[in-house]
Amino acid sequence: MIMESRYQRHIQLNEVGSLGQEKINQAKVLVIGVGGLGCPALQYLAAAGVGTLGMMDPDLVSLSNLQRQMLFNENDLGKNKALSAEKHLQKLNSEIQIQAFPFALTHENAEEFISEFDIVIDGTDNFYTRYLISDQCILQDKVMVYGALYKFEGQVSVFNYQDGPSYRCLFPTPPTNGEIPNCSDIGVLGMAPGIVGVYQASEAIKVILDLGDLLSGKLLCINLLSHQNTVLDFEKNQNEIDQITKSGKPIPVGNNDCFIDFEVSLEQLSAKEKIKWIDVREQDELPRLNYLNPLGSNVSQDVLMESKQKIIAFCQTGTRSKVFVEKMKRKGIKNCFSLKEGAKQLQEWAKKR
Amino acid sequence: MEIRLRYFGQLQEATGKSEEVLKEAFDTIGSLRNFLIQRYPQLKNRNFKIAQDNKIDMDSSPLNGSLIDLLPPFSGG
Repeated sequence: MIMESRYQRHIQLNEVGSLGQEKINQAKVLVIGVGGLGCPALQYLAAAGVGTLGMMDPDLVSLSNLQRQMLFNENDLGKNKALSAEKHLQKLNSEIQIQAFPFALTHENAEEFISEFDIVIDGTDNFYTRYLISDQCILQDKVMVYGALYKFEGQVSVFNYQDGPSYRCLFPTPPTNGEIPNCSDIGVLGMAPGIVGVYQASEAIKVILDLGDLLSGKLLCINLLSHQNTVLDFEKNQNEIDQITKSGKPIPVGNNDCFIDFEVSLEQLSAKEKIKWIDVREQDELPRLNYLNPLGSNVSQDVLMESKQKIIAFCQTGTRSKVFVEKMKRKGIKNCFSLKEGAKQLQEWAKKR
Repeated sequence: MEIRLRYFGQLQEATGKSEEVLKEAFDTIGSLRNFLIQRYPQLKNRNFKIAQDNKIDMDSSPLNGSLIDLLPPFSGG
């Protein structure tokens, strides 16, 4: 009699077998960034039975995410990505341990969270976090599976595998602020992160199984327009790695492009979302938007900390609200955004609503 | 000797092309980089790696490959 198991199609592979499946079931993988890359990676890793699967993201699901982040649906709008992912993945595979971390990776918490896992999948959209992951993975000897995107193109690589090169060996110098546009600024073909994220999951499984050729010391460049897929070799730069090990902690990089993408535009807001507004302007600035019941900039932190609704600060032009939200973020308030537009546009938007 | 250049990511926008062939000779990767920055001022202060014959190489390395790839870091996730 043939026992039908969830992992049958993997176990049937000579290269995997029961022993390989057992390795997958014992593996601990952390996916940082539950977006275009993180969603597909998580789906396949959960389905494969990765025993402990962590997911970290401070952001909320927004309407423009649904074009490519297949784990989410319209019911998730306005909810934290890591928590939403956890809910969906539990339905996909209840046999694995799923850990959701609804906050950002920081220099303060990186050591603690990365130490719990064997492999880290980089699904971030910013260089600040990417260099942090890379440095922490060097210090704690963890494999980092890298993926990144630009429009119709993707890059994939595996870092710190058996003393192999790291992200800093490939790109020692972080780009300056604004030098490299990200998806939210320039757009991306929805399928591109799908392909790259699944590739990352595949490399993670190969690391777990010690199978085939890994992209260690190799950068895979995928181009969906031209089909020109290229693998480029690169070498380890011991000086880059030594500077991290000597420092004993990750070295922060100056680039903070969308470190936390905390600006939100009116067109990104769905009609269903409940929003707590904060008016950071002075009392005499017009138009007043009292019917939105906005809180003032003197609102207590506890109120914001406990808010289950999305908090959006606004001013006349989106400048002061950004400063306000940056301050709140530093105080640990997660669910807080700055409106890109000003009070006047908000007034028109609210009228139509 | 001709060299074939392939531009990746946003370097395509900076140069306005995805590929080109150059007939000029270059001693090193770095001298090719300087030539390209002269030709495409938008490449100035850009962070990109150069690979020859499918291997990312240092600016000080002699340029002896025929296929040259120019790669910026990518952000989006």
